[in-house]
Amino acid sequence: MFEKVLIANRGEIALRVVRACKEMGISTVAVHSTADANALHVRMADESVCIGPPPAAQSYLNIPALISACEITGAEAIHPGYGFLSENARFAEIVREHGITFIGPTPEHIRLMGDKIAAKQAVKDVGIPTVPGSEGASRSASVAERVAHEIGFPVLVKAAAGGGGRGMKVAQTAADLSVALSTARSEAKAAFGNDAVYLEKYLGRPRHIEVQVLADGYGKVLHLGERDCSLQRRHQKVWEEAGSPALNAQQRDEIGAVVTTALGKLGYLGAGTIEFLFEDGRFYFIEMNTRLQVEHPVTEAITGIDIVREQIRIAAGGALEMDQEDVSFSGHAIECRINAENPFTFVPSPGTITQFHAPGGLGVRFDSAMYDGYRIPPYYDSLAGKLIVHGRNRNECLMRLKRALDELVVGGIETTVPLFQELIKEPDIINGDYNIHWLEKFLARQKRK
Amino acid sequence: MSKDTKEKSPVDAAAIRELAKLLDETKLSEIEIEQGGLRLRVARGGTAVMAAAPAPVPVAAAPAAPAAPAKPSGPPAGAVSSPMVGTVYVAPEPGKPAFVSVGSTVKEGDTLLIVEAMKTMNPILAPKSGKVSEICIENGQPVEFGQTLLIIS
Repeated sequence: MFEKVLIANRGEIALRVVRACKEMGISTVAVHSTADANALHVRMADESVCIGPPPAAQSYLNIPALISACEITGAEAIHPGYGFLSENARFAEIVREHGITFIGPTPEHIRLMGDKIAAKQAVKDVGIPTVPGSEGASRSASVAERVAHEIGFPVLVKAAAGGGGRGMKVAQTAADLSVALSTARSEAKAAFGNDAVYLEKYLGRPRHIEVQVLADGYGKVLHLGERDCSLQRRHQKVWEEAGSPALNAQQRDEIGAVVTTALGKLGYLGAGTIEFLFEDGRFYFIEMNTRLQVEHPVTEAITGIDIVREQIRIAAGGALEMDQEDVSFSGHAIECRINAENPFTFVPSPGTITQFHAPGGLGVRFDSAMYDGYRIPPYYDSLAGKLIVHGRNRNECLMRLKRALDELVVGGIETTVPLFQELIKEPDIINGDYNIHWLEKFLARQKRK
Repeated sequence: MSKDTKEKSPVDAAAIRELAKLLDETKLSEIEIEQGGLRLRVARGGTAVMAAAPAPVPVAAAPAAPAAPAKPSGPPAGAVSSPMVGTVYVAPEPGKPAFVSVGSTVKEGDTLLIVEAMKTMNPILAPKSGKVSEICIENGQPVEFGQTLLIIS
């Protein structure tokens, strides 16, 4: 087992990893920009190293500084968290070349799943259902047109180097296709440095359902059930649930088996999540995330499995101790991502927290790096905290969520808590009857009021 | 005085010296023995701590973090800070004399120190001319971004 791990991240996820390491008796090294000198993860880690000025490019994305920080502290492994360098294959390679363990999958798998066209082909080859679309990149407009007619309009033009909801344009009819293609290409070139695009059938009212997996270096792959992350604003998840209100136990077992068999064939290592669109009882692969996800706590709540601990154990060469039959699902969990933003305009609200009280009690977890007097810096994302509630069933969860949202106090900044307080009153939310377009439509209705 | 009284003197100087020697050797602050109905206590000079067990220290109302106090704000004037994470060296090579020492006069652009990061040696140059008033690091010490290395007045 590692004696010392460096956490190459910040905010609530850095704190999450520090907590897991402490429980395993592993020494922790926090890295931080000058703006994060008083951050909670820095104060709770055993050691800290300032790695640069506030801009992420010069600090949290600064590979030489991170490697240097490992060298001077003697850290044997790096946990990259999510975002930042967590899905940067080059970083994983450099870490490996320096004799440091990267807590995550191999650079080869990171690279494979980072190329959305290659990923789709690779998972298709091992039996995962995919969205009907172009075979590979759409190189010419005429080929694209033929493919689009084959799969049927509307179609989605997607950037091969995109992902996470970025770099997608809809063509509703044949008339829209060439504009959608050229816009998608030029935006992809600007954002990702790569203008390769591919086509997929556009699904009208799908749910976003993803499956969490853990794979060790001895060929064992387990699934930890699914999460429903359909409630999104501008392709950013806002509310996640485990399990999905739309699936029954049999469907869960079936898609879980498809995923674990496929990843076993790929020889995957570590934690990962396969994301699907689910419509009319069918699953369609969209992408695989080769890292820990923000919403992992809802899976932890219903399985009782510490996913970060398993990541660290697997990276240290440990074998998964349980089998699929040992993974059981108990109750229901919901997570709300609380952002430091205005709840109606979503304008970011950094600043000093004058009063902070985290809700507690049975089945309530609040993962956050906030504290009384903490100053949220303006340089990074606006996630202020994640409120996770667990109950014996979904109704109990919703009651608990209402109570916890009412109890949470964050003074001095604006947060999106009021948005969630409105959502839990909505009949569709109470019934679990929503898809990936629901939240945008709700927000548009709110705006008109 | 009868011979008996003298022999039964309550002041057993030898025993006291023995205890005092024991105190020194063991670094205890106090020794007390009882022998033959006689109790001897030898204590180090200074405040005698009396009787009662100390009151339990109240647990500080814990704001999450133990450890690190808030990092001090703003480096001192004339501070030369590290532009990177690495290991600082005061001389161009081991065994060679240091680039500068306290009191050295430097010109803008002079090499003051080296910070090694990932096997590359990065010279740290004087941002202004002046005299080195303080060297804040030791040879071979790990440094972080922004850490004050030395001060030029």
